Amino acid sequence: MKGWWTHAVISLRLHFRNRLALVYGYVFPLLYLAVCWVIYRHESVPLARHCGEFLTIGILGGACFGLPTTLVSERERGLWRRYRLTPAPSWTLLTGTALVRYLVLLGAGLVQLVVARLTGVPWPVDPVGLLLAFTCAAFAFIGLGLVIAMLADNVTAVQALGQCVFLPMLVIGGVAVPLSALPEWAGQVSFFSPGRYSVEAIQSAITGTELSARAFAEIMLVVNGVAGVTAASLLFRWDVGEAGAGVRRGWAGLVMVSWLAIGWLALEGEFGFRPAPAEPVAARRFASWQKIGAADVARVDFDLPPDTGVVTPIAVEDDVPDGDLAEELQVMHSRLADWAPRRGPVPLQAVRNLLCVAAVSDVLQQPVERHVPAIILQTLRESYPKAQLIKMLTWIALHPEEGSVIRSLDDLGIPGEVGDETELRQRMRVYATKFVVRLTGRPH
Amino acid sequence: MSAHISIVDLVKHYGPTRAVDGISLEVRRGEIFGLLGANGAGKTTTLECLTGLRRPDSGELRIAGHDPVREPRAACERVGAALQRSELPDRLTPREALGLFGSFFSRRAEPGRLLSRFKLTEHADAPYRALSGGQRQRLALALAFVNEPEVVLLDEPAAGLDPQAREELHALLLEVRAAGQTVLLSTHDLGEAEKLCDRVAVIHRGRLVATGTPADLRPAGARRTQWIRLRVQPDVHHDQLGRLAGVRSVQREGLGWVLESTEVPASMMALGALLVGMRAEVLELQTAAPTLLQAYLGLTQEVEERPAS
Repeated sequence: MKGWWTHAVISLRLHFRNRLALVYGYVFPLLYLAVCWVIYRHESVPLARHCGEFLTIGILGGACFGLPTTLVSERERGLWRRYRLTPAPSWTLLTGTALVRYLVLLGAGLVQLVVARLTGVPWPVDPVGLLLAFTCAAFAFIGLGLVIAMLADNVTAVQALGQCVFLPMLVIGGVAVPLSALPEWAGQVSFFSPGRYSVEAIQSAITGTELSARAFAEIMLVVNGVAGVTAASLLFRWDVGEAGAGVRRGWAGLVMVSWLAIGWLALEGEFGFRPAPAEPVAARRFASWQKIGAADVARVDFDLPPDTGVVTPIAVEDDVPDGDLAEELQVMHSRLADWAPRRGPVPLQAVRNLLCVAAVSDVLQQPVERHVPAIILQTLRESYPKAQLIKMLTWIALHPEEGSVIRSLDDLGIPGEVGDETELRQRMRVYATKFVVRLTGRPH
Repeated sequence: MSAHISIVDLVKHYGPTRAVDGISLEVRRGEIFGLLGANGAGKTTTLECLTGLRRPDSGELRIAGHDPVREPRAACERVGAALQRSELPDRLTPREALGLFGSFFSRRAEPGRLLSRFKLTEHADAPYRALSGGQRQRLALALAFVNEPEVVLLDEPAAGLDPQAREELHALLLEVRAAGQTVLLSTHDLGEAEKLCDRVAVIHRGRLVATGTPADLRPAGARRTQWIRLRVQPDVHHDQLGRLAGVRSVQREGLGWVLESTEVPASMMALGALLVGMRAEVLELQTAAPTLLQAYLGLTQEVEERPAS
């Protein structure tokens, strides 16, 4: 352990002296957060359901680019040759550097969470669980970063190898693009990506599921981390020209084997594990919509886009449709009376179906979009007692991912089909909340 | 004196290239030993094998009582080294560097004392990138002494230093020897080797050509030979110089001449008579003993001319 602590402290000190490293370490992760906010700004709490995504992107960037860039540039300068002249074993340097990178990632994650909090994201429900999930994800990606550092001969190669890992994980690995928006084959592929497990573990901890619900994801991340660290230690070389380095490159296959293993475990479910889907904030509070009370309704986030805006518009009372628009609405209203989905056996799903009518018109930007919500609210009022309706709408506002949705309204005379189910569910949630406002008379 | 460094039949290949080809030598405790050779001769590889940076293909190595291949940690504890191609992070200060590298060793020199010894106190807290080439080289040397080593290995230690810094380095190495530490250095500056080294080894194309004191290496005949450098106005003819007593050869050098003489007093008297007779004005007249340079050139030329075995 001689020198381990001194090496770690000086490495950390050097990191904070490097302005460029600070920009990459702390400002770039905030850019990911800003991008997520722009994409999801119309959700009730714009970033709450996407913390797992932007935190994972931050970890991935820091571990797969920042860490290997530091290590490879040190080796290029001959610093490791100088370390080699001391009695320090290689693990002293690797573990010290990995610890420093973990602390840097942790700091960047905290900054992201604080900024997210300023935009209205609630504090994580399970901070200890979040720390655990974050640590597992950081361990997995730091292991991967160490392997990249050992494979790359120079900093240019780090960028190339890092991109080979970073971009696929972002796009089809379940990190930046929601799984619901991916084609089925990509969703299957994402089971082989540690990025997916990182997003799920972190998001689950933020939204407060039990440890058991995210244990699978965390175990998979630890498996990836162990494989990465083991491969990196077998690939370790003090100098680029070190003998036998080329032959040892095969050890990088350990990482691929670990990815294949976790994908196989997840898909086959041999051990009964299944990744837990991320739940929205406060999802655990209620067992069913019937148990929702006034206090619970008050806790719903009523920070909504304006009725006169582009998203989820609702016409004001004196905005009376005329001409073709009035005719189209009349057709829709009359067909709605006998529309089968509003008369289904499950009231909650029937309400959800009616909300779909408003949401589909909105997403497809139909000319009638701002007038449809009024018709839907009127239909709902006619169909259910007010108290029951408030409870069901509140439930849907809190659980937009539940139940099925209707993407096409041809039978109501509204042409087109919605492609992005996630977007549709978000619009349903906003309309449900706006209706709760109208039904309860709550100012917002 | 006992051998502090021992190399027996060292062989090291880089692919098909035989970089070190059966070198054997011993360095005694408390001496400064120079490895002489052109670039690519095998000096650096030999030093890197001794530090454990390279694994020899065959041969036996001992340094400060340890085998650097089988006991690398124990050897590292007793050896200090300043090798080529080794930079420090831009923002690391000399004080931090000495603290960091010292922390890896059981025995360590106090950083303040090293800073003072290597004239770095004023720049102790300056970032590495702000140091001049000479200051960086002094820091590299200070790092070689951070563990109070018994043996110091230096690869081209004066490379990139200005004349004043070079003189300071030489003074420092003589101090090191006076303190009883052993120094093995590689250089292609033969003047430096002649000035500093108790003994030298000439390496050529991976092979050891000769070992001994700088004086020993001069060929027996060359010890009596001196050079006379001459420039006069009006100029003299080559044949006139060649006929002078004691002169073995005459060569043109710029606007002047270089005479090789085995009997300098006789040659000088004859030259004086010639110049008086010509009423020539003497612009330059020097005599010089043959240096290690001539010995080195002679030795390496001999190897080149030897038929391949």
